[in-house]
Amino acid sequence: MFKLALRNVFRNKRRSFLTGLSIAFAVMVVIFLWTFVSGILVGMFNSYVTNSVGHIRVLNADYLKRETMLPLSATVPDFQRLIATIEKNKDVKLATGRIKFGVLMDIKGKSKPVLGIGIDPQREEAVLGLSQKMVSGRVLSAGTSETVVGAGLAKEQELKIGDTLTVITQTAHGSLSGLNLKVTGIFSLGVASVDNRTFYLSLDQAQQLLDMNGRVTEIFILIKDPDRAVQAATEIVRTLPPGLTAVPWQANGFLFYMMTIIKNLYGAIYAFILLLASFTILNTMFMAVMERTQEIGMMKALGMKEGEIGRLITLEALILGTLASLVGAAGGTLLAYYVSTAGIDYTAAFKQIRDIEIPLAYVYRGEFSWLTIFVGFLLGVLFTVLASIFPARRAAKMEPVEALRE
Amino acid sequence: MSVVKMLNVVKNYRVGKVEVPAIRGITFSIEKAEFTAIAGPSGSGKTTLLNLFGCLDKPTLGKVMIEEHDVITLSPDQLADVRNQHIGFIFQSFNLIPVLTAFENAEFPLILLKRDNARQRKEKVMDLLSSVGIADLASRRPSEMSGGQQQRVAIARALVKKPDYVLADEPTANIDTKTGHEILDLMQQMNQKLQTTFIFSTHDPQVMRHARRLINIRDGQIESDVAQAGI
Repeated sequence: MFKLALRNVFRNKRRSFLTGLSIAFAVMVVIFLWTFVSGILVGMFNSYVTNSVGHIRVLNADYLKRETMLPLSATVPDFQRLIATIEKNKDVKLATGRIKFGVLMDIKGKSKPVLGIGIDPQREEAVLGLSQKMVSGRVLSAGTSETVVGAGLAKEQELKIGDTLTVITQTAHGSLSGLNLKVTGIFSLGVASVDNRTFYLSLDQAQQLLDMNGRVTEIFILIKDPDRAVQAATEIVRTLPPGLTAVPWQANGFLFYMMTIIKNLYGAIYAFILLLASFTILNTMFMAVMERTQEIGMMKALGMKEGEIGRLITLEALILGTLASLVGAAGGTLLAYYVSTAGIDYTAAFKQIRDIEIPLAYVYRGEFSWLTIFVGFLLGVLFTVLASIFPARRAAKMEPVEALRE
Repeated sequence: MSVVKMLNVVKNYRVGKVEVPAIRGITFSIEKAEFTAIAGPSGSGKTTLLNLFGCLDKPTLGKVMIEEHDVITLSPDQLADVRNQHIGFIFQSFNLIPVLTAFENAEFPLILLKRDNARQRKEKVMDLLSSVGIADLASRRPSEMSGGQQQRVAIARALVKKPDYVLADEPTANIDTKTGHEILDLMQQMNQKLQTTFIFSTHDPQVMRHARRLINIRDGQIESDVAQAGI
């Protein structure tokens, strides 16, 4: 039967080629899109996690309610002791304190509202990886009046290595405070909203500037398995003093909602693409069955059963679908590899975006996965076989007498 | 011994709202090793009769008995089994599978039977292809053979499983006269050599003369049923 099915597939070479081409193209597009969209989701997730929400954050409950105002009156006290406790949790990879504050930056007569973030440079290396992201200069050192500035911000403010930044802001108690910081480095995290309006300084310098001794605005936590964030946050909350809360990344409605929407939307798009392609299989198999009506009648006359006829037609579709999906998977692999390594550069598109809250990267790369390629191949085969069900049934149910009369 | 019997068989077809009688009450049997022609003009019911003999269709009334089984009681798959095991077919248009070689076409019924291994099938098929005189064409596809050669392959296919009887519907209609006589001679040889029953339909008097029993049918009824010497 396999030999007969294989030869039937190549009976009408042009038709089989065109049909196979549509399936191959569909599989290739699905693999490419899946790879690219997965990469966007991973990139978006990592950007959000790294620069904003972490896997989990420990915050003052009041701070959470007014976070957009960056309220320095609602902070996390005794953060070093809390970090020591949190890092005993088996899910936790790293915890580090951060202070976020809004400032008016004054340099060479120009003022700009920007975000200052006090960090522990050593711990943050595992989060931000600043040393790998420096455009020029070096990462700031802990305990010093040094700062690293986002590339977009540096360009706009005409900052270079060695310049002095004067930072003026309100302390946690509402009084004015200022600090001179030396620019030791210019970084680019590849995220427009960070590079254009953020600078980092040592945590102790931020605490001194803002009069927040021993306190931070958040404890930023990375865990080993991001999908366990809710469970880990529940465990961490139990170890916190009253007034503090642990917020998993899923609580960020925007991120969670966006990722879910994108996954579902693109899932529907993949299915739609394959469904369209499978219509060509449906058409081809129906034509093949109609053309071979007398032959099918003869095979039934010789004693071939309904089920055997149906399986023959389905086998033909399976062979065609498998060959076409292999070609599509090969093409998809090349495209997936390209988009995963070179990526697609959105710098020009995001040039004008300065103050948007969403951490959009400049370059999006695909998330190359052999599993994606394998599943794309399997879906191509599956849709092909499903599309052959009606023609196979039609062939199986033919009355031999009428079929022979054709 | 009868290989197939018809008992008061009636077959009607529905054409729109009208019932059209194709066979109007026929009773007869075919014995082993017969070489029988069913003759009649177009529309006389010969093809319908062959379809009933071949278990390709069921009677409206009456019984078609094959090995004491009334075919009307059988399901489509059971009928397929009966055809597979007991009946060989030779068609007017040869009806070979175009993507298979002569050998593979002749082998096809044995594959459906699932009784023999590859070596046994090869032996049976080559034996028959030699008997019908086309062993050297075993690897050719139907498109590479003449009408007469294709019909020889069809004969080999019909006989390879040693059926109880072979049905041939106008077996020489699509080939020239000389080749047609060769085909009929071959069928006679197979009939005598293998003692296989042959039942064939025709409206050609030249073809009728080859039969040793001639059943004339008109308007769905047997007009005459005579033994003859045969060529």
